[in-house]
Amino acid sequence: MSATGIGAAVRRKEDLRFITGRGQYTDDVIRPRETRAVFVRSPHAHAKIKNIDTSAAKTMPGVIAVLTGAELANDKIGNLICGWMIHSKDGTPMKMAPHPALAVGKVNHQGDAVTVVIAETQVQGRDAAEKVKVDYEPLPAVTDPAKAKSGPQIHDLASKNTIYEWSLGDAKAVDAAFSSAKHVTKLDIVNNRLVPNAIEPRAALAEYDAGMDQLTLWNTTQNPHVSRLVIAAFVGMAPEHKLRVIAPDVGGGFGSKIFIYPEEVVCLWAARKVNRPVKWTADRSESFVTDAHGRDHVTHAELALDANGKILAMRVKTIANLGAYMSTFSSSVPTYLYATLLSGQYDIPQIYCEVDAVYTNTVPVDAYRGAGRPEATFVVERLVEVAARQMGIDPADLRKRNFVKSFPHQTPVIMAYDAGDYNASLKKALELADVKGFSKRKREAARHGKLRGLGYSTYIEACGIAPSQAVGSLGCGVGLWGAPKCASTRPAAWKCLRERMPTGRDTRQLFRNLFQSGLAFRSRMSPSCMAIPTKCSSEWAPTARAPVRSACRRW
Amino acid sequence: MPAVSMTVNGKAVTGDVEARTLLVEFLRENLRLTGTHVGCDTSQCGACVVHIDGIAAKSCTTLALQCEGAKIVTIEGLAEPNGPLHPMQEAFREHHGLQCGFCTPGMIMAALDIVRRRGNDLDEHTIREQLDGNICRCTGYHNIVKAIAAGAKAMAKGGARQAAE
Repeated sequence: MSATGIGAAVRRKEDLRFITGRGQYTDDVIRPRETRAVFVRSPHAHAKIKNIDTSAAKTMPGVIAVLTGAELANDKIGNLICGWMIHSKDGTPMKMAPHPALAVGKVNHQGDAVTVVIAETQVQGRDAAEKVKVDYEPLPAVTDPAKAKSGPQIHDLASKNTIYEWSLGDAKAVDAAFSSAKHVTKLDIVNNRLVPNAIEPRAALAEYDAGMDQLTLWNTTQNPHVSRLVIAAFVGMAPEHKLRVIAPDVGGGFGSKIFIYPEEVVCLWAARKVNRPVKWTADRSESFVTDAHGRDHVTHAELALDANGKILAMRVKTIANLGAYMSTFSSSVPTYLYATLLSGQYDIPQIYCEVDAVYTNTVPVDAYRGAGRPEATFVVERLVEVAARQMGIDPADLRKRNFVKSFPHQTPVIMAYDAGDYNASLKKALELADVKGFSKRKREAARHGKLRGLGYSTYIEACGIAPSQAVGSLGCGVGLWGAPKCASTRPAAWKCLRERMPTGRDTRQLFRNLFQSGLAFRSRMSPSCMAIPTKCSSEWAPTARAPVRSACRRW
Repeated sequence: MPAVSMTVNGKAVTGDVEARTLLVEFLRENLRLTGTHVGCDTSQCGACVVHIDGIAAKSCTTLALQCEGAKIVTIEGLAEPNGPLHPMQEAFREHHGLQCGFCTPGMIMAALDIVRRRGNDLDEHTIREQLDGNICRCTGYHNIVKAIAAGAKAMAKGGARQAAE
């Protein structure tokens, strides 16, 4: 192991429970007197609900309750929300349509939850769900984002199904640069929709303690704190101190388990109503139509270059499909996380990006693996690649000519790059890929009837984007945080009690790695608390001690 | 409800189940053996793999009643609670063959079946091909393949305690 621990193989503390079958995922948590929730979902993309008849379902064996959206509304359970405000070019706020956890009057995508059956067992719940009679009147639907504005209106408050029309950059400066360009590359790009498909289906287990008037939710969540905040403060389920959200082991999420979903709201509400724990676990078919999807952009992009292949400006117009409802962070993905990285690794003097977010009759779309950033890279790299081919310039060479070479570098889309050596990375990649030997390999492949290709892509990533000065400049003020629980056992040693962090990472391991590597970091956690495994106390770097101690004092 | 009896991880168990109760439901809900997971409920992902009479099977599409009299081994049965790990479990830990851990029990149970069928000296191609019934969504298969090759070798060396079957 190196002196710092960086690059060293680390045996993970969490592995033992996973390889012996003793992990504890949400569906593995079993509470006394637990019941099962089974949802009745819309088979239609868009339909009016004319009537819901639950009478037959209520008489089925093992059924405890059959609940509808009307009852949810009667109990004053609020809508799910999108937490990131975006304003349109004209200054108007985004059009956030009501998103009840159970549909009222109308369904807006296939899989929209209409009714929930609470039963003693899963199979009894399923049998009863089949007896719920929903009378639908199908409506015309729109699923293609490019046709959303001319499609049937989905929500009353969003005319032309438009959520916002946002822009970033200087349109006039970009127009001027294009007018002086020697070459302009124009592209139409579709970045298709993806289904995240974590291997562990989403699940929620809610329990109500009537004596303490306290709700507890075990949930397949990547961020229990945001979940508690949204469900308490916005959905209005309970005051925040009366709701505890626990993220046990989580079997993958890739973003899709960040968001607050209807099912956990319904389980909490139902647990209080029937005064028994309520568990829901998605089956795979349900996952496809209820987990937030990713991407789904339709883009027209243009790149202006001078005669030497120097990029002068970029113009991008994207239609982003956010689906039938605005998921928790959906508004930020095609804006904060997308347009701000359109400069890629290149020195582009002017960029103007317009993003129109639209509703369609599809599953909601939110952050997925990279969230906006891969979409931006796809646009930039396709533009550069096609420009190189059109201008007869080697694609690697065109990239080299346009790389940012002096740092710090301020892009026209708010980001400031502090350091980098993109030439060095490309040079190494060309060597590793043996680009010089490519034509020989291509000829060899052709002799065997095979086609061999060579492609390039560069990438830049903005991690942990908020809270930060950068996105603060766009009006964003939120971030994600955690609260590991720690305790003092003696003055110089702290023990981490709360060890789990979603998606297979262990908080204790994280802190151990941080301190072994001697990295100092400032605590931005709330409650302001950091924890260090006792064993690592002798290895703390002096620079790390002060902020940790001060953080712990605050806690 | 009909009764079903089987041996699970060396212990005789009996339970009343519906005719439609799946083996994985019986293991997870009746016996509280939650190490066997349900990822897809359609036989595709392999998170539910257990051994039935020594042969790997997907417990999400096996009826509990089909297992009357059978010997079942789940991930919990590979090592004693406080005893040494099975060489295949150890290999997964040593080669970082997991991240979130949800697919891991199925991967390990499937790996043991590959060893049973193809021996202890497994090449990469064989492992990859034989693993086509198991899906990992976190990390890709590279380290899983390495772990299985190493685990298979270790089983030969150590006089391999095979699974409790």
